[in-house]
Amino acid sequence: MLVMGEVHTGLLQNSGEIPESTCRDVLQLLSGERVRVSRRPIVYAVSPDLLTGVDCRLPSASQSRIRGAGTVLSRSSITGGRVVQGSSFTRIERSGSDRRQPWSHYLARPGVVEVLGKVKSRDLADGFAEDPPADGLDLGAISARFLDVVQSSPLLDRRAPFKIARTRLRWVAEEGEPAIRFTLHSEQMRTVRLVHTGEFTPAVADLCEDLALHDWLLTALLVIIERARIGGTPGPEAAVKLAPAVDHLLHLWMPSARVDDVLSAYWESLDRRPGFTRQWQSLVDRVRDQLAVHTLAFLREKSGGGAR
Amino acid sequence: MTSVNATFGEVAAERRIASAPLSHVSIELGHLYMEDFEAGPERLREQFRRVAPWAGTVRSSWQDRVPGGRARVSTCFLIDDYFSRFSTPAELVPMVLEAAADCDLTIDYIARESACAVSDGVELARLVEDRLVNDPPPDTNGSRPPVKESGWLCNGARSPQVGTVQAMGKANRWAPPLQNAKRGHSIFVDVELWDENGGKRTWSCPFLAAVWQLLRLGLLRTDGRLPLRPVMREDAFPDDWESLPAVMQLNPAAAPFSAYTTLSVLSPRFLPVELAVRTILSQVAVDGDVLRQVVARSGGEGIRLEEELVDRISYVFA
Repeated sequence: MLVMGEVHTGLLQNSGEIPESTCRDVLQLLSGERVRVSRRPIVYAVSPDLLTGVDCRLPSASQSRIRGAGTVLSRSSITGGRVVQGSSFTRIERSGSDRRQPWSHYLARPGVVEVLGKVKSRDLADGFAEDPPADGLDLGAISARFLDVVQSSPLLDRRAPFKIARTRLRWVAEEGEPAIRFTLHSEQMRTVRLVHTGEFTPAVADLCEDLALHDWLLTALLVIIERARIGGTPGPEAAVKLAPAVDHLLHLWMPSARVDDVLSAYWESLDRRPGFTRQWQSLVDRVRDQLAVHTLAFLREKSGGGAR
Repeated sequence: MTSVNATFGEVAAERRIASAPLSHVSIELGHLYMEDFEAGPERLREQFRRVAPWAGTVRSSWQDRVPGGRARVSTCFLIDDYFSRFSTPAELVPMVLEAAADCDLTIDYIARESACAVSDGVELARLVEDRLVNDPPPDTNGSRPPVKESGWLCNGARSPQVGTVQAMGKANRWAPPLQNAKRGHSIFVDVELWDENGGKRTWSCPFLAAVWQLLRLGLLRTDGRLPLRPVMREDAFPDDWESLPAVMQLNPAAAPFSAYTTLSVLSPRFLPVELAVRTILSQVAVDGDVLRQVVARSGGEGIRLEEELVDRISYVFA
């Protein structure tokens, strides 16, 4: 019927980026299951999928009381040894019955929540993309725990190079004519409404995680530039404040790196409007220009000092 | 220039899941405890005499179901070497085989119960414990981590603790526990999974029996591999249990150890244990890829398996 998900993205609580082997250890959340790692074009490590059982109210734009039971699929991932994500999603499906089934029924459908009773797909999707009820399905809390479990790993030194808030991206995917809408809500909250042709595949969740990652990178870079108060503070001070961007962020921009070919058109359309990559490139240029200007000033000062 | 279709693969990024050879049904002919052994071979023969007609019935019902009557049926026998150690394989295994033969039964595989806890360095019981996804009571929306009582697993919501004080200062009164998917009235089950003594964990009998069922259903994997493969018997049986393989194949012509379905023929005294086993198995999340693999295999030979794994397990209490 539809799929709901939420991705939390944050800066790994470690002074430097962590190597692939540490990523594996940090993400080893389930015994007897490997952490999957891909190295091209950027090191990306993802934990095994884990399930959380739920039996609760589902979001509804019309405020109807809709109950669903089943499991939510979640995972933690680390990109470039630097950015951590906690991601959860569940497929919402109609149940053949109005009754809560024995739990084994739901475990035979991992990652599916079945609606008990009648429901309209649009009502659910609208409800989730807006403001879900406080006592309703809380994918945000589940994703936050999957981010926390990484951040609290004893293998991390908890000395992040700069402070930056987590972002949350809530997404809903439905079947139909391909479309995507990305909305910025508050400083930390984003929503994505995505319509895909054919059946849902986990590649849609990968796409949303990739969007969340890049939106976070953009947000983080904007924050760093804002904090540097270019023009408002002396050049050297601004340059020092921009340095973490160079050290930790600039090389991480790899849009669509893990996105299925079938879905890369979504990225491309978002890249045309609003133009994530365009904005990123202009910010990167700004950082580099600032550092160049500062370097020139520094060299001039040095050579000028020598002449005197 | 024409476009080139490039593919790039990374082994570490892909998931590979081994598939298990599978029979149609795995029949457990018995489960031997120390007291049975102490009672002597006559007790064993008595048990096998009781089991034989049921095993025959299941075998022929599968032969009717499978085209050409070529049903793959394997039989197994479990020896408890976990809760009590007694005798030696060299003494005991031939005695069991002889008693079975007296009742026209062939034991294809013999297994050690301790293998369900640890086998070849793989902690199978831990593996299963990590895959428990608790049956959520109503109003579980994910906002808090699942409530887990360390070492226990239930099928609903426990009674609130009597005597503890609520937020408004009122002491909690007793309230009944509730089964989650009850039909009218609750049958609340709370199972002890393990206990610990001096840092040493002892798994409960139902928990090991749950692992045993999962092994027989071929649903466990460790790093994508099968956690144990039966080892063909040697001429002589060893003098200590440790030297006996976790699962030993006794009959060279046997159908595979694991199967789409299982049947256990047990004494009715095991009924509470098996209720506990089902309570546990109802909350084990088997890997989705493994579930699909088994469904595809059985579908390929025209067999529709029950979706829920607890429904692939049947019993005769006789």
